Amino acid sequence: MNNKHVTSSKLRKLTVLMIAVLAFVAVLSGCSDKNEAANSSPGGSSGASSEATSSSSPVASEQPANGTEAEALPIVSEPLTLTYFTQLAANAAPVVKDYNEIAAYQELEKRTGIHIEWKHPVAGQEAQQLSLMMASGNPTDIIEYNWTDGYPGGAAKAIAEGNAIRLNELIDQYAPNFKKLLEEHPEYKKMITNDDGDIYAFPFLRGDPSLLTSAGLWIRQDWLDKLGLKMPVTVEDWHTVLKAFKEQDPNGNGKADELPFNFGQPNANKFWFDRTSAFIGAWGIGTGFYQENSQVKYGAIQPEFKSFLQTLQTWYKEGLIDPDYALTDSKAMDAKITGNLLGAGFASIGGGIGRLYQLMADIDPSYKVLGAPLPVLEEGDTLQLMQRDFPYTGLGASITAANKHPIETVKWMDYKYGEAGSLLMNFGIEGVSYNMVDGNPQYTEAVTKAPDNLSFAQALSKYALPAANGAFVQDKRYFDQFAGLPIQQESMKNWMQGGTEKMMPPVSVTADESARFASVMNDVNTYIAEMFDKFVMGSEPIENFDKYVKTLKSMGIDDAISIEQAALDRYNSRP
Amino acid sequence: MRTLRKDLRRNRHIYMMIAPVVMYFGLFYYLPIYGVQIAFKQYSIMEGIWNSPWIGFKHFSDFFGGYYFDRTLRNTLLISLYDIVFGFPAPIILALLLNEVGRKHFRNLVQTLTYMPHFISVVVVVGMMFDFLARGGIINQLTSSIGLGTVSYLQSPEWFRTLYVGSGIWQQIGWGSIIYIAAITGIDPTLYEAARVDGAGRWSQMLRITLPGIMPTIIILLILRLGNVMNVGYEKILLMYTPVVYETSDVISTYVYRKGILDGSFDYSSAVGLFNSVVNLVLLVCANSLSRRASGSSIW
Repeated sequence: MNNKHVTSSKLRKLTVLMIAVLAFVAVLSGCSDKNEAANSSPGGSSGASSEATSSSSPVASEQPANGTEAEALPIVSEPLTLTYFTQLAANAAPVVKDYNEIAAYQELEKRTGIHIEWKHPVAGQEAQQLSLMMASGNPTDIIEYNWTDGYPGGAAKAIAEGNAIRLNELIDQYAPNFKKLLEEHPEYKKMITNDDGDIYAFPFLRGDPSLLTSAGLWIRQDWLDKLGLKMPVTVEDWHTVLKAFKEQDPNGNGKADELPFNFGQPNANKFWFDRTSAFIGAWGIGTGFYQENSQVKYGAIQPEFKSFLQTLQTWYKEGLIDPDYALTDSKAMDAKITGNLLGAGFASIGGGIGRLYQLMADIDPSYKVLGAPLPVLEEGDTLQLMQRDFPYTGLGASITAANKHPIETVKWMDYKYGEAGSLLMNFGIEGVSYNMVDGNPQYTEAVTKAPDNLSFAQALSKYALPAANGAFVQDKRYFDQFAGLPIQQESMKNWMQGGTEKMMPPVSVTADESARFASVMNDVNTYIAEMFDKFVMGSEPIENFDKYVKTLKSMGIDDAISIEQAALDRYNSRP
Repeated sequence: MRTLRKDLRRNRHIYMMIAPVVMYFGLFYYLPIYGVQIAFKQYSIMEGIWNSPWIGFKHFSDFFGGYYFDRTLRNTLLISLYDIVFGFPAPIILALLLNEVGRKHFRNLVQTLTYMPHFISVVVVVGMMFDFLARGGIINQLTSSIGLGTVSYLQSPEWFRTLYVGSGIWQQIGWGSIIYIAAITGIDPTLYEAARVDGAGRWSQMLRITLPGIMPTIIILLILRLGNVMNVGYEKILLMYTPVVYETSDVISTYVYRKGILDGSFDYSSAVGLFNSVVNLVLLVCANSLSRRASGSSIW
């Protein structure tokens, strides 16, 4: 009896101890996980970069051609690691886990001696993770972000909050390539300077007008042909075409299951209508802020917007718009496309039009889509708004106040704006991902005919990332090869008909105004997203448009407009 | 002091066991209270929590006067109310039913099947709902095959609460019933014997012995539930809602999420969060004292 008691109490002790130990181990392992992750990424990359070494050394030796004092490479003699917050580009995500797996960045590390530790936020949660990073008080050395669009309060606030520093002096002293670029293109300088005169980021720039239009409407050309219809030009034409898609069974399965038009989920449809100005541009307005002779207006409260909504409502009622558009995410959209159901929609040139072809190549060889011209109201009208980005969309890499090596960072950034750096960022490694043909870089088959069914954009992502982000100038010669399909060229031509005078340049609001602006626009955007769907779906009669405008006014939309107006005035008076 | 030390030494293993729990609450529940002050400040990340300037109740008055205050408050309360009215009794009913099942195998089977959904991540559950309830989904195929037509459930504001509460019941009913089944097991079997001798049928046994037997458990859980009235499961709502159904689905926590996390107004969303917590606390205290007076069982 006594014996048994002893054993059982021992046993109990042992159990308690074990649990305590277990708990402790669990805590420890939580910590060690982090260390491991931190350790493994440089290790992994160094292995990979040595692999790239041999192939790329000839490029490195050509290097000192445009040698200025700051070009001396490597930039650092001691190894230096910088942390860099940026989105993992959608095209790169299937191919690499981290930008250190991209050959161009490995090569860049080898040339400059600076190692980058990438912090990629989860896709779709960039804003959230940036906020959390700020709240934690431990920002990365470099933050690449959309400062004019996505950052509450814009660049001025970013500087006030230490997420960016003023770069003008550093650029003058340590960034000869970038300085030269700004001298040659004063319009770039105007865009990347905030109203206080501070340059706050190294921008991602598109170096040629042809790079600035990249998205628009697409339509099933083969359906048009089958039904003997012309490419629609006016909004009324579109109505005819969509109705024919609905009623005349272009997919030929004997069922009226066609979904003539789908513009995707609410966030996406605002984005598409606003970005491409499709349909809404026919009425001469945008959905958001736009300007008329330097006068800022807000599209969603204009009387023309009512007429735009009225049209969509009618189409929805007639079944010309996919009734489930609000629930259609990109996966569902793909399913509708491959199911041969969808007649028209929005797409970008590469990831959209190019991808549609890839999706459908095996399913239906006769499949043919084409970028449609943005519709106008009356035949012969010229479209007043089209889709054209500014060379700078707000995306740029800032140096945070927490960065202890701003000079080295500036030199590292500057290298990418130089000739050698630009080739590296746009085309990757010479001899591997591109070859020089008559002085022009041509992608090799490793990119254009990649194994494993990778698209051009995906295959290229192993070597370089010219399309998505990064601080450098996008090269036109990349795009000519990227959107090389005749259909892509034709789509581009269709999308580029129209004016751009009404577009808002990348203005920035002041830190003081930004709180008010953000708080107004939060309510406004929520309300518009909701009411847009209600109007389109008809659960809110169009007669209530005036009430809707009144509500927006009570939310302070007029204040937001005058804040934007002041920002535009300041922008226009920038030197 | 000496007794404390002696106690610490003698029961050190027990203290070691409780230490992680204490640490957890300390770190994640008590320490952050320090940050609550930003609800009354114009918070700036650069200035830090302590040095940001005070602005009094401005965030609160902005919230109460804001366009979405009425709607988010109403939605929060209604969803919570539906959840309490329909969701709270469901596991109790299941436990009572299971208690009456004679065959052990069948009972185990039902128990396993009902608590399995608990382990499915809410993301997956919402994904399943989207698939089943889509226009071409199984539910609509069934209803249209018997001539009821199709409904776009996820785009109809009037369906949102039903779907939210219903899927919640489906997911949690089995798991929630465990505690009641345990409580039922704890009831003295001699009571049932005595009741049978007195001629009570199964129905009155259930009403007069089982139910009163688990009443204290029910009341405690109900009080705790009432202390959470303002916290609805916003993760699930975020996954489920689209602007079309904001009308019935936008609750205070999703509003805070959009304002605080997406827009970076931490001060404003702390104020709203604080308001939430205060309401919860008041409800908890009221429910507790009511129950103490009425039935004698209470948390403290």
